[in-house]
Amino acid sequence: MFRAPLIIAIALIIAFAGGVLSALSMLNASVGFGAIEVAGWRAFPAAQMASADPYAKAHRAKGGRLLYGSAEGLQFSALRDAEGLTLTGTCSYRMSGRTPTTRLWTLYAADAEGNPLNAGPELPTAKNSQTVLRRRDGSFDIVISRTAKAGNWLAIPDTGAFQLVLTLLDTPAAASTGLSGLSMPVIEQIGCGQ
Amino acid sequence: MNKLLYAAVTGRFGAILLHIIIILGVPHFTGRDAYTRVTSEGVPFVFHALSARPDSVGLSSIDPYLRVAVCHFDIERQPLSLVALGGDVDFWSVAIYDRDANEVFSMNDRTSVAGDLDVLVATPVQVAQLRKTPIAALAETILVEHPGTEGYVVLRVLAPQASYEPEARAFLAEAECLPFTGR
Repeated sequence: MFRAPLIIAIALIIAFAGGVLSALSMLNASVGFGAIEVAGWRAFPAAQMASADPYAKAHRAKGGRLLYGSAEGLQFSALRDAEGLTLTGTCSYRMSGRTPTTRLWTLYAADAEGNPLNAGPELPTAKNSQTVLRRRDGSFDIVISRTAKAGNWLAIPDTGAFQLVLTLLDTPAAASTGLSGLSMPVIEQIGCGQ
Repeated sequence: MNKLLYAAVTGRFGAILLHIIIILGVPHFTGRDAYTRVTSEGVPFVFHALSARPDSVGLSSIDPYLRVAVCHFDIERQPLSLVALGGDVDFWSVAIYDRDANEVFSMNDRTSVAGDLDVLVATPVQVAQLRKTPIAALAETILVEHPGTEGYVVLRVLAPQASYEPEARAFLAEAECLPFTGR
């Protein structure tokens, strides 16, 4: 006698739980379709456009951030190193190579929400294309570590997972479809613990 | 058993439908999208400079080397005039968004006339009127057609080192976001 209500209840539970959880997980997991992925770096050149997909529009409405226009720049973020392991504050990393063609770039470490991490006053917590030391061919090495390093040092606090945010300002890469060869710096882990 | 399977399939269809409704509905109901946050900054037609740390509405300049100012507008009655002198700064960029945070127009100092910001944001009707009776003072102004009437402007300027800070702050402080009343 309770079979019909039970079956209806099961259908409703699957519908509501499935619908809400899948929508939430999609909103938290991705910024939408149309990502460019190069060497672990990810960017969404169309996230701010009117032609963006519904997931991108929902994500940007939920995040409420001031996005970069296509003539302003393109923001890449990396959550993992070259081996696919999550970036974590207890390890040190070397980021080497060169950026795609761009007038200027800035680099900083950020938490999962994208807010810059503060390693402490008077420490180099960010780098830009004008202050970085380069090799003769224009490429560069930046060591990301919580302890001081010679050369280019980007200080991070002793936290858990973090991401690296590389913003290219005034770059033709903003019009890229990801098919043309963009060269991005490679992030390698160079040691963990003390 | 058959009925249970039927219930699961029905539930799955319901889940897909609800998923689509939520994803399409979120932009209208979050209450913390970029336009709402920018309007909470204060009065319209003024550039509000953002600080490095999130303020009460959750906006900040985020990038350690960029200084950001925002301005929201309603051009129903008059076009919006954006003016700034980019003489002392290395890099500035501006982006105009509609109230759904879709990019309408963006540019930087290299794509501007003589390195200065001089943009007029107008509705299609206002653009047609301006084209019909050209004003000499607008000869070098970039005319931008805005799809709706409301929106916001984001102005960014680069301060690559601490010593560039005063110029960057002065650039944002002197930038104008005013209703156009003729020149």
